[in-house]
Amino acid sequence: MPALSTQLLVIGGGATGLGIAWDATLRGLKVVLVEQGDLGQGTSGRYHGLLHSGARYVISDPTSAADCASENLILRRIVPHTIEDTGGLFVSLPTDPLDYPDAWLDACRKQGVPAEEISPAAALEREPLLNSRLGRAFLVQDAALDSFDLSHTLVDAIRRAGGTVWLRQRVETLHVESGRVVRADVRSFRTGEVVTVGAEVFVNAAGPFAGEVAASAGIALPLALGKGTMVAMAERLVHAVVNRCKPPADGDILVPIGTVCILGTTDTPVASGKELSIEPWEIDLLLAEGEALIPTLPDHRALRAWAGIRALYQPPQSDGQPTRTLPRAHAIIDHSANDGLAGLITVIGGKLTTFRLMAEETLDLVCRSLGVEAPCQTSETSLPDPAHGQLSPTKRLAGFDRDGSGPKPVETICECELVTRSDLATAIERDGIDELDDLRRDLRLGMGPCQAAFCAYRAAGIVHDLRAPHMADAGLVDFLNERWRGMRPLAWGHTLRQMELIRRIYLDLLCTSTAPEGQG
Amino acid sequence: MTHLIVIGAGLTGLFAAAHAAERGATVTLVALGRGGLALSHGCIDVLAVEPPLEAMSRLDKSHPYVKAGQKALRSAVEQFLGWMEQEGLPYQGHLEQNLRLPTALGASHSTCLAPAAQAQGDLEGKEPVTLAGLAGFRDFSTSLAASGLERIGVRVANSVELPLPHQASVRDRYSIDLARRFEDKAWREEVARSWKTRLTGARRIGIPACLGLTSHPEVWRDMHERLGALIFEIPTLPPSVPGLRLENALRNRALKAGVRLIEGSRALGQVDGRSGGRRAGGVVIHAAGGPRALQADAVLLATGGFLHGGLVARQDGRAQESVFDLPVRVSGDRTALTAGSPIEAQPYATLGLLVDSRMRPVGARGKAVFENVFAAGGLLAGSDRSSEGSRQGIDLASAWRAVESSLT
Amino acid sequence: MTQAGPSADLCLKCNICTAACPVAAVTDRFPGPKAVGPQLQRFRSPRHIAPEGSVEWCSGCGTCSSVCPHGVAVAEINIQAKARLRALDPPSLRDQMIARPELLGRLARPMAPIANLLTHSKPSRWLLERTLHISRHAALPRFARRTLRQRNPSRIASSPPRVADRKRPLLAYFHGCSANYYEPELGETAIAVLDALGFEVVLPPQRCCGLPLQSNGLFEPARAYAQSNIRSLRPFAEADLPIVGTSTSCTLALKHDYRAILGLEGDEVDLVAESTFDIFEFLSFRHPSFHNEMDFAPVSARALYHAPCQLRSHGIGAPALEALRRIPALHVVESSAACCGIAGTYGVKQEKYDVARAVGAPLFAQAAAEAVDFIITDSETCRWWISEHTRLPAFHPIEILARSMGLA
Repeated sequence: MPALSTQLLVIGGGATGLGIAWDATLRGLKVVLVEQGDLGQGTSGRYHGLLHSGARYVISDPTSAADCASENLILRRIVPHTIEDTGGLFVSLPTDPLDYPDAWLDACRKQGVPAEEISPAAALEREPLLNSRLGRAFLVQDAALDSFDLSHTLVDAIRRAGGTVWLRQRVETLHVESGRVVRADVRSFRTGEVVTVGAEVFVNAAGPFAGEVAASAGIALPLALGKGTMVAMAERLVHAVVNRCKPPADGDILVPIGTVCILGTTDTPVASGKELSIEPWEIDLLLAEGEALIPTLPDHRALRAWAGIRALYQPPQSDGQPTRTLPRAHAIIDHSANDGLAGLITVIGGKLTTFRLMAEETLDLVCRSLGVEAPCQTSETSLPDPAHGQLSPTKRLAGFDRDGSGPKPVETICECELVTRSDLATAIERDGIDELDDLRRDLRLGMGPCQAAFCAYRAAGIVHDLRAPHMADAGLVDFLNERWRGMRPLAWGHTLRQMELIRRIYLDLLCTSTAPEGQG
Repeated sequence: MTHLIVIGAGLTGLFAAAHAAERGATVTLVALGRGGLALSHGCIDVLAVEPPLEAMSRLDKSHPYVKAGQKALRSAVEQFLGWMEQEGLPYQGHLEQNLRLPTALGASHSTCLAPAAQAQGDLEGKEPVTLAGLAGFRDFSTSLAASGLERIGVRVANSVELPLPHQASVRDRYSIDLARRFEDKAWREEVARSWKTRLTGARRIGIPACLGLTSHPEVWRDMHERLGALIFEIPTLPPSVPGLRLENALRNRALKAGVRLIEGSRALGQVDGRSGGRRAGGVVIHAAGGPRALQADAVLLATGGFLHGGLVARQDGRAQESVFDLPVRVSGDRTALTAGSPIEAQPYATLGLLVDSRMRPVGARGKAVFENVFAAGGLLAGSDRSSEGSRQGIDLASAWRAVESSLT
Repeated sequence: MTQAGPSADLCLKCNICTAACPVAAVTDRFPGPKAVGPQLQRFRSPRHIAPEGSVEWCSGCGTCSSVCPHGVAVAEINIQAKARLRALDPPSLRDQMIARPELLGRLARPMAPIANLLTHSKPSRWLLERTLHISRHAALPRFARRTLRQRNPSRIASSPPRVADRKRPLLAYFHGCSANYYEPELGETAIAVLDALGFEVVLPPQRCCGLPLQSNGLFEPARAYAQSNIRSLRPFAEADLPIVGTSTSCTLALKHDYRAILGLEGDEVDLVAESTFDIFEFLSFRHPSFHNEMDFAPVSARALYHAPCQLRSHGIGAPALEALRRIPALHVVESSAACCGIAGTYGVKQEKYDVARAVGAPLFAQAAAEAVDFIITDSETCRWWISEHTRLPAFHPIEILARSMGLA
């Protein structure tokens, strides 16, 4: 088996892992990052889209709140192009505890989280769809952060600095010799080939799969896995992040991001990182809570539902605690100190908002164990926009012109999200392609109201033309199945109409069911 | 006095309205918008099983074909073929055997009746097929179609990409845009000139369906003469040109027969009839200014299934018929409505109204809810028409039967 | 009523509206109502106007809204988007002028002959085109020397006559700018017909309906007119008096646009909307014997009837056509065109003229092919435009009815 050696092997390509790999390159370390799926396929790609101001946690988790507040400012400086400064609102409804807002405001002040009260009328002027009976309203510095843009930005930075990022490669086993992790077996999804990677330090940032990674080195990690379900509404019903001003519970946040807004979230204990099924009660709850904030919500289109899994460190004494009440603050576990196993560090928990801080603390530990003197530079290093990946609405419209007479972006493949043929070709050329969902994550292909009814065929045609060499077929049916999976929990009203249109096109018109094995 | 109000302007509604008007009835057709013909291939799918009529005898008694009866299907098809001939849009095929037509995905589409321009593409045909895509046209992938056909054992002689004039486009073209271009003789001349060299030796050429919209027969014939080869059309993504041609032909038929068309208003609720609630006096439509009552002797619901709102699925798992709130039996478990892949059969697709032998929606005890209200088409229960390949056949047969019942 | 913006959520992207759009059919500059409407709506927010200028080419004909099977208010979304875009720049003098037919009418009336010379002589039309970009090919109406109200002062009623004073059923005539300042004879014909049918007609206080201002993106002045009309018409509506109009655009504004596009809300707005009728709609729905018992005398002629796009948006079909079909010896051919091209003030604009004419070309061709004697259409701007381009006289259907009733 071919072997490769490096200083630092990072397992997991979510925001945490990518942040760690990036920090490592800035400190002069040789780093290889391995991610089992595509960029954004894990928890980071399934999250709510929120750049926390910290206001949500000032009472329930003050450490997390303070971290979020300071990291919020840092991220705005270093990756501004991934952030849309939507601002945030905390609003209380008549049914919420009357004494909470004052206690909360007090705690904001204590934690250094900016919060400013505004009148209900002012709040309604900003957000006309909000419940007109709202009680108190506060402005906070929440924002929307696009994790796909962030992932691409970090990968770009890592590679430019000489680091290695492998996608669709899975760490299967960590080999231990003399009480030290020395190498990892990495299997390629595309070829099935196994490569051995040796490293001085291994960082386990595999999120919900961190338990499996640790187990392969003989460590039992006490992890609590909490599944959170979210619903994307087809339009930006609000322009600022809207939170309920009450003790944090399910379904009390609404985040506008790109062309949609996301209702979230729930928190259900699950046993493995693969349990992503959606229960009807979760949907009913999210929609009911959403309707409390926006009374006309039932008139609006719910696009799809999905789930992501948070992994939280469950220290022994908190056994049995509901996952929602576990501290959100991250945990960095030096297995050398904890378990007598050298060379392995696990990073668990935290928010996407604090990824940079988690990376800094992790690298401080890594450098100590390598005997390297290298201070963290990430908070002072701005990253450029790699100018690909998901684009904010304004960027997408840049090709259009005011007086209506100039050339338009032609060959728009996904009309809902304005993705063009050249976007697709560029992405395929740059990253290769394993499934059409890669293009969805990269470009938002098929993420709009029609959920790929039209662009699935068009994109499959383009991919087929470009003959992506390792794709046995154009992956059309898989892509459609994925869209269907997201719509099924919402299969009534207009969402069901959209599903039916998909069948009209792919069954009646294209007769996809009679297409043989391998066609898609 | 209006004899019949037909609600819905899809294939079912247009056919029913025109048929009733030609039988001498005064007919008003009301629709919120256009129907699903713009989304369809323009063919008449009867049953994607060989041979279709025989398979029909094995259907469940609640199936719309069984409710309407084979005689209705035969009569409707005969009527349809005659009309299309007269409207200058001749169809080919018959009920005894399906045609197998290539789709834009290279799969095989089983259908009984197809417009002549599509029927030429029958995969049973002797002449080898050349597939031709159109440069810059995103709704047809030659390579997908070719590889699909190869995999089902159809030999594709050649695949080519044909250029189109005036390539500097300021916007993407749908197939209807191309179809309108083809109506212009000068365009056809230029196109044929640039295509001829690329098609030497081709005997049967399949191109995306775009040979004219309003003058299709002339356009098709002209291109055939200019290229000196058989050309057949392959329907592509909506808006579908063959579907629109069919819709235009049926609308013309209906208007010529004197059908009064009210478009853009939702029908919601009945006008109170007499007879202790056993008869509907007509329908109330919601027009721009407010509700208007349309009175009639009978009402025919051709409002379709879930796609265009004839049926509405609710969050609580129930389904509603949207005009008269007629009973739709469904379990109430909304997770049971859909199956895992869009390609699979879907439970929701079989939901709809149960009808009596006269095509009248019935209540829990099997009795007609209204003496004079009839239902046809996608609104009927008992069939997943996408899976069965039975959409248009059910539309025609049930429309025929419902009209006959309503006029007697 | 569904607000325009939120109804974008109902869009399935099916392209039925794109297929029906008369403007997208003739020009590449307009990508279609779906593209600039519900599709781009998701990119618009208070912070992003989405400066996509091709929405400017939308003519506001409303065909898209009336064909959408899902209830998306496509045209309304587009008209609102256009207005927001226009608000970024000061309106041109031309747009300010053509949007104010009432003001023009009032100003020009005292010197009507001179004003008419200015708008109808070739050299001055050429000059108007060069300076103001008003197409010299577009028909402009003639100013009347005395308005309808000046000619019929006894009918003016600032408030509804008391019940005791009413000897016959009463209605309020919303004449609009056209039947007051430009075609008072038409107004008098309408009054004569209504009078002969047993109605007492009064002229309530009224301003321009505001539609031309709305179409040109000038929502604030449009709202001012709208609110004035609501105030003055409200008492009539409250007194249960129908508000009847002969201009399909004025009546559409009162019934629909005030609420759906200008965003006016309130009981009085709803009440006026629900009390407003197109004149033939009124006769069909509110005069019980109009269709059944009335005898129409022959009018021997061949005519082409065109249902204006605004009439289609009423969602009541074409009630005038039904009446015309009852007139013996009158052979009426129905136009198959969705829009004649003028679309209010669209075709008057120099930069839009070619598109507008292309939209109307099939209609003009049909008039020639059918060798009709005249055109019949309910909208004044359609009459002027179609007449100009076919060189045929054009009448409001009420004028033909008057002839049949021996009143003209």
